Amino acid sequence: MSLTVQETNKKDLLSVSGITKRFGLNVVLKGIDLSVAQGEVLTLIGGNGAGKSTLMKIIMGIYQPDQGEMYIDGEKITSFKPSVSLQKGIYMVPQEPMLFPNMSVEENILIGFTEPRAELHNRLVKIIEEIGWKLDLTRKALSLSIAEQQLVELLRGMMRNAKVLILDEPTSALTFDEVESLFKIVEDLKNKGIGIIYITHRMGEVFTIGTHVAIMRDGIITLRGPIGDFTRDMLVKGLLPPNMDDVEKKESEEFTIDYENLEPVFKLENYSGYGFENINLEVYPGEILGVAGLVGAGRTELATTIFGREKVLSGKAYLMGKDVTGVSTREAIAAGINYVPEDRRLNGLFGMSSVAANTTSSLLFNVAMGKVFLNRKKEKEITQKYIEDFRTKVTGQEQSCGSLSGGNQQKVVIGRCLSSLPKLVILDEPTRGIDAAARGDVYSIILELRKQGVAVMLISSDMEEIIELSDRAVVMFQGHMTRELKKNEIDQNTLMNASFDVKEEKED
Amino acid sequence: MNSVKKLLKARESGSLLFLVLLILLVGFINPSFWQPASLLGCLNDSVVFTLLAVGIAFVILTGEIDVSIGATLGMSAAVGATILRDGGSVVVAVLVALLIGAVIGFINGFGVSVLQVPSLIFTLGVNGVVRGLIYVYTGGAWVENLPATYTRASNVKLIGELTVFYAATFVFVLIANYIVTKTRRGKYFTAVGDNISGATLVGIPTTATKVSAYVICGILAAAAGMVYTSRIGFITPTAGNNYEMKAIAACVLGGVALTGGQGSLFGAAIGAIIMSSISRILVFLGFSSDYDNTITGIMLIVIVVVTTVAQNRSIIKNRHEILMARTNKSGENKKGETV
Amino acid sequence: MGKSFLEKAKKFFKSWEFVLLLILIGEIVIFATKNPKFLMPRVLFGSLNDIISICIISLFVTFVMITGGIDIQAGSIVGLSSIVLGVAWQDAGINIWVAVLLAIFVAAICGAISGYFVAYCGVQPMVVTLGGSFLFSGIALLVSNLSSTASYKGISGFPESFLQLSKFRLFGVLPAQVIIFLVLAVIAYILLNRTKYGRMIFLVGVNKDAAEYSGINVKFITMTTYILSGISAAIAGIILTSYLGTAKSDIGMTFTLPIITAVVLGGTLSTGGKGTVVGTALAAIVIGVLKFGLPLCFKVPQQYLDIPVGMLLLVVVIGRSLLTNPKVIALLHKEDKK
Repeated sequence: MSLTVQETNKKDLLSVSGITKRFGLNVVLKGIDLSVAQGEVLTLIGGNGAGKSTLMKIIMGIYQPDQGEMYIDGEKITSFKPSVSLQKGIYMVPQEPMLFPNMSVEENILIGFTEPRAELHNRLVKIIEEIGWKLDLTRKALSLSIAEQQLVELLRGMMRNAKVLILDEPTSALTFDEVESLFKIVEDLKNKGIGIIYITHRMGEVFTIGTHVAIMRDGIITLRGPIGDFTRDMLVKGLLPPNMDDVEKKESEEFTIDYENLEPVFKLENYSGYGFENINLEVYPGEILGVAGLVGAGRTELATTIFGREKVLSGKAYLMGKDVTGVSTREAIAAGINYVPEDRRLNGLFGMSSVAANTTSSLLFNVAMGKVFLNRKKEKEITQKYIEDFRTKVTGQEQSCGSLSGGNQQKVVIGRCLSSLPKLVILDEPTRGIDAAARGDVYSIILELRKQGVAVMLISSDMEEIIELSDRAVVMFQGHMTRELKKNEIDQNTLMNASFDVKEEKED
Repeated sequence: MNSVKKLLKARESGSLLFLVLLILLVGFINPSFWQPASLLGCLNDSVVFTLLAVGIAFVILTGEIDVSIGATLGMSAAVGATILRDGGSVVVAVLVALLIGAVIGFINGFGVSVLQVPSLIFTLGVNGVVRGLIYVYTGGAWVENLPATYTRASNVKLIGELTVFYAATFVFVLIANYIVTKTRRGKYFTAVGDNISGATLVGIPTTATKVSAYVICGILAAAAGMVYTSRIGFITPTAGNNYEMKAIAACVLGGVALTGGQGSLFGAAIGAIIMSSISRILVFLGFSSDYDNTITGIMLIVIVVVTTVAQNRSIIKNRHEILMARTNKSGENKKGETV
Repeated sequence: MGKSFLEKAKKFFKSWEFVLLLILIGEIVIFATKNPKFLMPRVLFGSLNDIISICIISLFVTFVMITGGIDIQAGSIVGLSSIVLGVAWQDAGINIWVAVLLAIFVAAICGAISGYFVAYCGVQPMVVTLGGSFLFSGIALLVSNLSSTASYKGISGFPESFLQLSKFRLFGVLPAQVIIFLVLAVIAYILLNRTKYGRMIFLVGVNKDAAEYSGINVKFITMTTYILSGISAAIAGIILTSYLGTAKSDIGMTFTLPIITAVVLGGTLSTGGKGTVVGTALAAIVIGVLKFGLPLCFKVPQQYLDIPVGMLLLVVVIGRSLLTNPKVIALLHKEDKK
């Protein structure tokens, strides 16, 4: 309680109230109230499509709100323009740093400033020294790692004497070391009295660095307050739609796999590529192999390399005893491997194309779809099968996929992947950014695959997902496989420790 | 990492080097090419294309394109020449011409950055309309009988064989290049083309930047039109036809990337010299000038293919390096240390 | 069955093709009332003669633009194939029909070269085909220098059988070149909408990465579209040579802009992923009829015709970009409610 009293004494650096925003017919924000005070770290959580980025763009003045007010340092903002927000001391470090790739680091930081160049340079060097970073100012931005790019963005904010810094999922592309040093910086900035809005998907980070928390869902704030007032469970509840029963555990009918007598469907031997090294694993028919680890641990790179998107550096891959090392994507699909990509919008979906065209896209080189002419009947059949099997909500096969909800889009992508009747399915973050109901459906699809004897590799950063679905799990850390866990060994703690490569297993 | 730097640095200096080597090579085969008269002749011939190329470079730097500059040149030249023919003063003629260029540029900029129409298509439409308007204005006739003082102006020499026109153009290019690379607002052009969302985020007025790029481009096309008028001495309704393609080619030769954000006005000016010297060089090499387009085409394709392939390679290499760094154990992680 | 037909009809009435059809009918009605001669089949079909090359090429440049590319070299390939045909026939003494095949083959190679650089080297299509337009028109000029005939004169005196390519009239009205155009349009339509190849072209245009992840050979598909547009340019060049009776190296020089205009007017997205053959064909015909009708019925001088065509293009693209603007959509919706 004392904390709250203390907080109210502090000055609000930024506050918004009653913000609403619609795009066309789509209401994205439905009355948002939020504030940050000096030295506060407000962690903001919410699923994809909750409206976080729209809200931040309004705060940055990139979008105009339809209704609502914004105060910066007690002063009411009347015109929403990036230049106004910047000048009043707000700076956003976007999730994907938006640098000018062909300019030097220094030019990137100093662009848009009016002061004399030399003066700016000195100030910049001083700030960098103060914090103790090493950064070559003459390097071109396009040669920087993501972490370094984020540093540049942070420096931009500090050069502008930002009072409020917005960090949009800053750790999503960082390695563990980089995350640690970022946390240190955030701590420093907090102590300097800067207000920080920290957007994240990771529950753990909320408690590590947040002083306050707010949860957004479907364009409203469902919960907010000082961090001490909440437990993890309360936060999870806030993320779920109301009146939703807790995601019930799927029929966990004992489904044992006879490892002794089965031949693995898929096998990797000392498999190395860009982003991972020396991977040895086996996947059995009817088995769900969980692949856990942090973002950036090399899991997606492993999957895309198996799928023929990247070069294999050494080692072997076998599917049903056949060597599939270094095959092309087409050969991989023909051999019986298919992959549901991590980034649905970028690599998975043909947004402008119809549900039918999406579903059959990886079947096109198969004669079953016709030799030269497209077999429309076959296409309809296959599409209908997956629409019905997955309970995909569409107005018809001709509906364009871009207009579907995230969950239904994902079902279409999974349908496309299964339409090639693969023996090994690699699912990369299959439930990221989709709602709870669709998540349940995706889980049923995965379990159904297991029943059919398909080998499944499930890459997921959601530990609960790994625990709920996997028959066996492997954990990757910085490109290496650090642990292999049997069904009964898979629990939150073990996974977490292995993901962060904590060797000694302390059972709390 | 160094190769990336080198490559990027090489963008316009590579073009300059290419030009120097070209001059040396041609001179070795035919030493008379090295005489000041023919070398400076190359420069003097390049004025129209330099103005066009530098103008369109503003637009290309912001990541857009303008295929209406040939028509803009023709229109402003036709109007300017008519004023001159009818006894108007040079100042009025030039000002009116530049104003026409600015208006056409503004329309283009408005369509592209405010109405959000893809630039190739919008300027293509404007090109058609302006081309037609030239016929309406001139009635399809040539604008001739211009005052000799004006047509002689392009031959006035400053020092030796160097014309005043080229000297002025050269000074202009230097100033413009300085503004674009060194001043705060000047850098906006490159920044917008380099990363438009990033530019919005740091408060750069992207719409205004693009509109002004188009206006500058239009004005320079009009200036090129007035120089053209002086050099040729008459204006046909097809004046400047296809010049937009040559100006774009000059930019590419000069290391201005059509993707935006890369290259410099200086590079565009060098590209324009290379572009307009090809026929002269062919003559010195004993070839017919019929080889002009073939050589231009080959040069263009070779240069872009080589730079693109090298650039893509280095981007992939860079990504692989980052990924490889991640697989190293934390202690050896060099990237981690710099952070 | 009846229902799906009704749905299809409904969809058609909402489509851009329908709008183009209305514009075309409007044009014909206006021109016909002004000058009834316009409705004579001979005149009506003849109106397409001058623009037939652009109609043919734009059909296949549509393919290129659906993959997200652009082709501004087709015009120079027209000239190249014309002069290759002429020189091969007159100076090398090759049979005229073999020369026709040779011209098509050369054009296909030209398309393949540019397509290769675009697809396999990742160079911007605009730059590659700009280079191609210089290169191929340059080569065309050099080829014309091989001939004993001065290049500005052009090669003429072709055999009657070749000239029939443009002189022949089916039932005495339908010109052979219009027939060729219609046949090519049907081929293009089937290729794009009925074959697996056509489906792949669309998928590549919608999302290249997703297409790669579906095992589609994106690079090869992309390259083939440039080959097709090169071949179509050759066909246009051959017909034009027959129509003019002269082979010249620069006959396609001014085609680039009208081709792109027709494709964009036809509803193809310049960013790729969307486009129809029917739309392009209709748009090309709309332009052709406009360019023929205005001088015939309203005495508009030939040279002014770029203005209405340019205006048409501008109005369409501005309208389209306004209609997809979220602000405008919201505004329209608000007014609906009121």
